[in-house]
Amino acid sequence: MLRKKRSLEANIPSSSMADIAFLLLIFFLVATVIDVDTGIGMTLPELSDVDPPPVSKDRMAAVLINENNDVLLDGKPISLFQIKSTLKPRIISKIELPKKKKLIVSLKTDRKTAYHAYISALDQIKMAFFEVRDEYSNSKFGMKYRDLSDEIKKQVKDAIPIIISLAEPEAVK
Amino acid sequence: MKFEKKRASSKTEIPTSSMPDIIFMLLLFFMVTTTMREVELLVEFKLPDAEALEKIENKRLVSYIWVGKGGKIQINDSIVEVDDIQVIMYGKRQALPSVIVSLRVDVGARMGLVTDIQQELRKAYCLRINYSANIKI
Repeated sequence: MLRKKRSLEANIPSSSMADIAFLLLIFFLVATVIDVDTGIGMTLPELSDVDPPPVSKDRMAAVLINENNDVLLDGKPISLFQIKSTLKPRIISKIELPKKKKLIVSLKTDRKTAYHAYISALDQIKMAFFEVRDEYSNSKFGMKYRDLSDEIKKQVKDAIPIIISLAEPEAVK
Repeated sequence: MKFEKKRASSKTEIPTSSMPDIIFMLLLFFMVTTTMREVELLVEFKLPDAEALEKIENKRLVSYIWVGKGGKIQINDSIVEVDDIQVIMYGKRQALPSVIVSLRVDVGARMGLVTDIQQELRKAYCLRINYSANIKI
């Protein structure tokens, strides 16, 4: 009397499984990024026998790092992580000056300086320039530097050019 | 006389339930067979950390120089000396004029060696360089 009805054979429609697999495949193809390279970009100066023209003292900010990774900025010993805050006011003070009077940061190391100290210093210098650029574009155009259009970007770039001179290290006796 | 096409009485349908398996098999096959031209590293190195990073947009332009612990230099698949760099890099520049040289240098390396490499690069006229670094968290 009370017999269970025999249920019909239930099966999941599997014809669309292929489409799902394709969709997954395409999603992962688009979404995967294969090891993006990040780093600090620099341009080396051309090799020439002619000595570079002399630069006035107030244009220069000389960063020296010795073999114990101590930092000297314009003769004053500071810590590696003070470079940015020390350079920023100097960069800002030269924004309105003509192109030939912008700040040049010279970075000089010893042959025995550790690479990580050099990179940290370079990083600090670059960060100083980047932050000044950001502040300048924020106050003038109300946007961060990277959100600006190419034309205005060039204006900012002209106002705050990144000039870093890599001096050849002195030989250690 | 009447012509009539003969039709099979059985249902004609291609079974599609195994299609995903076939696709997965294909996917797996390609996953296994593709090799992403990865250079076998012969030097041991740890990249420094930095904040002011830029991405290299065009990977095709990049050419690597590895400097490992103990000052070993690797270009392509072999260990080279500092004096060899100029010739190798000049060749690379000839093939690709706007080459970007990515320096993957160990944190503990000495600046003397890095500068020597840079001097060689200047001689080879490879002026665009990039100090490879990891993002500082």
